[in-house]
Amino acid sequence: MIIIIIEGGDMSISRRSFVFGSVAASVFISLWDINPSKAEVKVGDNAEDKKLIIKMVRDVYPHDRFPEAPYERTANDVITKGNADSAKKTMLSEGIENLKKANYGKLNFKKSTKYLKKIENSGFFQHVRSTSVVTLYNDQEVWGLLGYEGSSFEKGGYINRGFNDLDWLPDPRIEEHPDLAAFLKADPNRLAAIEDMIKLN
Amino acid sequence: MKKIDKKEKAVVIIGSGAGGGTMAYELTRAGIPCVCLEAGPFHKKEDYVNDEWGAFLQMAWLDARTTSGDWRVAKDFSGLPTWLCKAVGGTTTHWAGATPRFMDYEFKTKSTYGNLKGANLLDWPVTLKDMEPYYTRAEDAIGSTHRGGRAALPANNNYKVFAEGAKRVGYKFYATGPYGTNAEPYDGRPGSVQDGFNFQGDKNGSKWSTAKREIPRALETGLLDLRTHSHVTKITHNKEGLVDGVIYRDVDGNEQRQAAQVVIVSGNSIESPRLLLLSESSMFPNGLANSSGEVGRNYMRHLTGSMYARFEKPVKMWRGETMAGFCADEVKHNPKRGFVGGYYMETLALGPAFLSSFLDPGAWGREFTDMMDGYENIAGMWIVGEDMPQSNNRVTLNTDVKDQYGNPVPNVHFDEHKNDIAMRNYAYEKAEKLYESVGAIQTWRTPPYPSTHNLGTNRMSAKSKDGVVNKWGRSHDIKNLYIADGSVMTTGAAANPTLTITALSIRFSENVISQLKKGNI
Repeated sequence: MIIIIIEGGDMSISRRSFVFGSVAASVFISLWDINPSKAEVKVGDNAEDKKLIIKMVRDVYPHDRFPEAPYERTANDVITKGNADSAKKTMLSEGIENLKKANYGKLNFKKSTKYLKKIENSGFFQHVRSTSVVTLYNDQEVWGLLGYEGSSFEKGGYINRGFNDLDWLPDPRIEEHPDLAAFLKADPNRLAAIEDMIKLN
Repeated sequence: MKKIDKKEKAVVIIGSGAGGGTMAYELTRAGIPCVCLEAGPFHKKEDYVNDEWGAFLQMAWLDARTTSGDWRVAKDFSGLPTWLCKAVGGTTTHWAGATPRFMDYEFKTKSTYGNLKGANLLDWPVTLKDMEPYYTRAEDAIGSTHRGGRAALPANNNYKVFAEGAKRVGYKFYATGPYGTNAEPYDGRPGSVQDGFNFQGDKNGSKWSTAKREIPRALETGLLDLRTHSHVTKITHNKEGLVDGVIYRDVDGNEQRQAAQVVIVSGNSIESPRLLLLSESSMFPNGLANSSGEVGRNYMRHLTGSMYARFEKPVKMWRGETMAGFCADEVKHNPKRGFVGGYYMETLALGPAFLSSFLDPGAWGREFTDMMDGYENIAGMWIVGEDMPQSNNRVTLNTDVKDQYGNPVPNVHFDEHKNDIAMRNYAYEKAEKLYESVGAIQTWRTPPYPSTHNLGTNRMSAKSKDGVVNKWGRSHDIKNLYIADGSVMTTGAAANPTLTITALSIRFSENVISQLKKGNI
């Protein structure tokens, strides 16, 4: 569980704490624009550290066909959110130091995975993972790479654009089976030995 | 819009979703002026966005909450036990649209299933026969497809995979509904354009919600005083023990009081019991309407789980109506399967943004990205089954954590019953077979999401010692206090609950109207 205290920002309620799962918490910060640009970004904000974070994001969510750009944007978000307050800064800074100590930048995918597995319960790993899973897969370039088409209403939805264009299976029945009503109405069999069968202790 | 004086003793409805919105509509149509206090804003169809996270932040109820128990949601989404909405229309703005009725025996599970260790089963004080006319009215209000002569939705890509798989494993009872989004124009709403953003409010306005139908029509009567951004924090009572007002925070956070002749609580299964508990007094030290001690107990959230399957060829599941695919073959109680009750299978699609977060919360690495990488080729279904009411699965006040108004937040405790686990595992295996029959190359057992089906925390009972409200939604203890939402469900059945909440609310409204006319309340 991660407790995020949001202070300031554009919200009408300026001081408010959210107790959220880590996934939702990171979304909050990015979409409600708590304006991290005002915070002094220091930790991780250099080419060497960023390169390590980019590698880590790619090792956590490896897609061979993805170019560097979405991973770089995600790494930037990981760094920005890792500077949200002093506790986060410490977490990020220690995490990066440990990566360096482990010579992480030079590890191949297999060895990287082994290392990440070792640290996966750390706050640092969880910060990188939970931020990345939201930011990477909410990236419009990634949507395109995965074939996802995003917003569709302004294009008239898919009613004339292939909502039913799957052609490798036959067209199925859409109406209910004529026996459905009788099936739903039928009394279920009640078995006397029900508790035995369910083996509840 | 009607303005009702705050000092005037009014009929006050708390919430505007399937329960409260329906109440507001039925009562104002009967000539009864009402105040409806809704905690959220009034989004119109043009306000909705075709964006999963954006819509979530726009619509979801995000006030602080806590969780406990062995359910995985408590670990992965510890502050987000549910996925409910704070908006006019409540969670009908987010609902998908599946509208099955309960089956007859699902109103009498204690008689049907017998005594099950750890399960606090109870027969409902109403029967399917009592409910049938109200089900028909609710289906006509919602515009359920496959009912009342209304057309079926066409097969979308996700349904094609689902239905063919169902057929190949020997299932018969699959169809594209019943479903609460129009296939063809009905009741002033257009047919679906299959935009795939049904959960996000539906910009086309084809989906039924009380924000689309009941609230606007109640406003048209000139009898509804709808106050948005109005969060009720306490219900007050007089020395006779009758409720006489509600305290709420307005849009600016200022405390207001509305005098009340009748209070109808429709805040869903988390906020309704919480409000009753927050309204404790020296006369009612355990909270309002709680002489039974059942307020907040027997919280149910349906047995859920999802199965996603990856194929060699494209599916494009995100196109088209999200849940317009239904299979009933496993819904009948058949203890030979190793559990009581049953479940529906329903198509479900998520975009990459949500699939990545919910497919397997916390997962990372190559196996996970192999699945995500095949996003275009994924089909998905939701498993919705009856879960067991348990006395200790409950909503309580967590006095250690305060909300934005300084009130204790609700803690949602949930431990899974062995029956729930047995049914889910059975359902996963069956779903894997279904998708494998049409060529799945990878399948994924996705655990339950934060709950959208929230039931049973103010349950309906024949006897006052067993529950909180009677068969008319009227509290056993306080005659001018009603509850109309999913919290009154005695047991959960397998069916998606919105149709039943709507039908119950229509039924309850008749009692409110007749009691008011007789001068009894």
